Amino acid sequence: MLEQYEPTSETAWNASRVVHLHRRAGFAATWNEIQRDLSDGPAAAVTRLLHNSPTGQQTDAGEVTSDFEQMSSVICDAAVGSGNINRLKAWWLYRMLFTPDPLGERLTLMWHNHFATSNVKVADVSLMRRQNELFRKFARAPFGDLLHRAANDPALLIWLDADANRKEHPNENLAREIMELFSLGVGNYTEDDVQQAARALTGWSVNKGKFRNYDQYHDDGEKTIFGQRGNWTGEGFVRMLAEHPATSRRIAFRICEQFLGETLSSPDIVDELASGLRERTLDVGWAVETVVRSKTFFSAGNIRNRVLSPIEFVVGAVRSLEIMDPPPSTLLLAEATANLGQDIFNPPNVFGWPGGRAWLTNRALIGRANFALALVNGELHTPSKPFDAAALAASNGFTEAGEIGSFFAQLLLGQEELPNELRQYLETPNRLVTAILASPEAQLA
Amino acid sequence: MSRARFNRRQLLRCASMIAMAPTVPAFLSRMVRAAQPNHNGRILVVIQLSGGNDGINTVVPFADEGYAKYRDKLRLSANELIKVNDHIGLHPGLRSAADLLEDGRLAIVQGVGYPNPNRSHDVSMAIWQTARFDPAEHKTFGWIGRAMDGRSARSDGAPDSILLGDENPPIALRGRRSTSISLAHLDDLKAKPGATFSTALPGDADHDLLAFTRRAALDAKSTAELIDEVAKKSASDASAYPSTELAGRLKSIAQLVKADFLTPVYYAIQPGYDTHAAQLPTHARLLRELGSAIKAFHDDLQTAGLSDRVLTFCFSEFGRRVKENASLGTDHGTAGPVLIAGSGVNPGPFGQPPSMTDLEGGDLKMQTDFRQVYATILEDWLGVSSALALGNTFERLKLISDT
Repeated sequence: MLEQYEPTSETAWNASRVVHLHRRAGFAATWNEIQRDLSDGPAAAVTRLLHNSPTGQQTDAGEVTSDFEQMSSVICDAAVGSGNINRLKAWWLYRMLFTPDPLGERLTLMWHNHFATSNVKVADVSLMRRQNELFRKFARAPFGDLLHRAANDPALLIWLDADANRKEHPNENLAREIMELFSLGVGNYTEDDVQQAARALTGWSVNKGKFRNYDQYHDDGEKTIFGQRGNWTGEGFVRMLAEHPATSRRIAFRICEQFLGETLSSPDIVDELASGLRERTLDVGWAVETVVRSKTFFSAGNIRNRVLSPIEFVVGAVRSLEIMDPPPSTLLLAEATANLGQDIFNPPNVFGWPGGRAWLTNRALIGRANFALALVNGELHTPSKPFDAAALAASNGFTEAGEIGSFFAQLLLGQEELPNELRQYLETPNRLVTAILASPEAQLA
Repeated sequence: MSRARFNRRQLLRCASMIAMAPTVPAFLSRMVRAAQPNHNGRILVVIQLSGGNDGINTVVPFADEGYAKYRDKLRLSANELIKVNDHIGLHPGLRSAADLLEDGRLAIVQGVGYPNPNRSHDVSMAIWQTARFDPAEHKTFGWIGRAMDGRSARSDGAPDSILLGDENPPIALRGRRSTSISLAHLDDLKAKPGATFSTALPGDADHDLLAFTRRAALDAKSTAELIDEVAKKSASDASAYPSTELAGRLKSIAQLVKADFLTPVYYAIQPGYDTHAAQLPTHARLLRELGSAIKAFHDDLQTAGLSDRVLTFCFSEFGRRVKENASLGTDHGTAGPVLIAGSGVNPGPFGQPPSMTDLEGGDLKMQTDFRQVYATILEDWLGVSSALALGNTFERLKLISDT
């Protein structure tokens, strides 16, 4: 199922598949990007999406060289300096809009959801930033490296009440969540394991915003975890988790959930990916590449079979319509995504966002229709700057009403014809775009 | 169409019909969902009186000789109080609440607190919100969040609780699995003029997710219309609610209830009760705002035929010291009364008023553990288990009427 996609007469490389690739694995494509990928073919298009990593431009000393990264640091430093979490949200939206590596930001968001940590409790913008940068830097790394660092991350430890984690008072919250949510998944450990693991984790703490491992608070007695006796430390325990086969399945599930539609992310395909992960020290980059290049990814059943998250919906709309010069206020975009149910840096609980069909609440769908209107009317810009749908179509050579309709159907929905009930808006391109963005089809990718 | 005409069995029977005919109006499909197990349609509204309400001057034990002894400048004279019985009377600012009481829609539990009271705002509020005493548990989960964790998974996506206001949802609402949101105003739920909604019919049965999304879009469209209609209707009788912040929030909650939102718990905060100085005018204003907002809210719901579905519970993190201070105010104390409004209560005062002469270090002794009140609300009103939420079982009070 994970063998590589090769176009056939039934699964041709066409605009619909290019749009699918970018909506599912990036933040949607512009018209030019669609045309470029159409002519370059699937191998080149996927390679570009997978390996357009700005981190490749960093020097060994960690200096960033691209204009984008420099601008991003300036905005981020100012956000942290302000102590206002909304500005950090705006910074991340800035990155998503302008990054040359949309997949990297998608994966960063995937890990934010996996290690769901909320600033409502952490209440420290600089720690949330540090955690976010950790997720980005290790987005494609072997999972054990990420797990280890996440387990020592100050924001995560504060979130899970582990900042006072002493041998007289072992903290089962961290021990439980690290097994249930971050690695093994429910059903792969016992309550005894939770208690014993909590003992192994004693001594891990946060002091003045930094991770500390206090020997004097560590319970160095013998513990039995997963039936193995030993003087387990936190590090040893986390290593055990990374090597546990259940972890490979959970990570495979996370990746499938991200890139495969709701009926395609089957236990079989998760197992197949998990077994490949185990052979490659849980190399996430390999797993992502394998899924995105696969036949299953480009199969007809995978197209438009996943609900777009609010972030994917909002960022994708702005990027594909090229509302980038200037972009809408990223503060307002962050507020919009929160209103649609995805308040970044503030997931609803330790399980993260439920995702899938749960995104489509009444409130969220009303909000998506309102967002579409506000974006097209230019209300998300300060000062207000209405979008010009006719101008975008004309710049790509489409001026007649029917052509404009097909242009936006292709760009925003990946289909050649407009859904019937939208044809009534053909004469007013801005209203047409508002209606397309609010349509059921546009909520899926 | 009268909702009372459907019983649960009929609704469940038409659930399958609705699955096949997704153009049925949204409110009807929501009624079907409301008829599913684990949703008794009852709603809890919590009003947090932040700062520590002076319970002694709220439900006044005027007949207690200690009242005259310890309250001099702050004493409310017996003839201005609204007498409840021979021992206690309500603050004159609570005229509206007294109307509810006379109408059989208000219960008052006296002297509610917990052992070894803590007089720090933060700590005592955390104790009330989490129902836990170990400080290590004060940042984890709240009593409502934990109780909502025990509800079975729902597919409707409605959050378990909503805080109306600018604040983040408080720890009381935080659960491991349950969800809560805050909503500053209902505009977030309204469709803006010019927003378009799909009218596409679900059809296309072999494309399941698209059919689901079309159905959800139709449902959202009718919810937007319903909220608009409810808002317009209540705009025309806006005079019924006082123009205070608290009343505005309760009004928003009433609109959500009328629009058949499936969220079972709502939360609102009324700040300002930390009256260390010049207490009398401030306290009178706060209680007037509180009483009139609750009265307007429950009257509104009664007119809408929904009063039997909503219970309002008011608490504060502590009461105040028995003896007034030298600045015409009061300092942090211990137990205090809680108010519970709604047509589902057994009305009247519960328990004995705490004695103002038999004190503990100058403070009132508690009469009723706050967790007994919680257990009663969770079990007898919301119909959810209280043991996990409270970490123990507590004897319930006869606060909720059986009918």
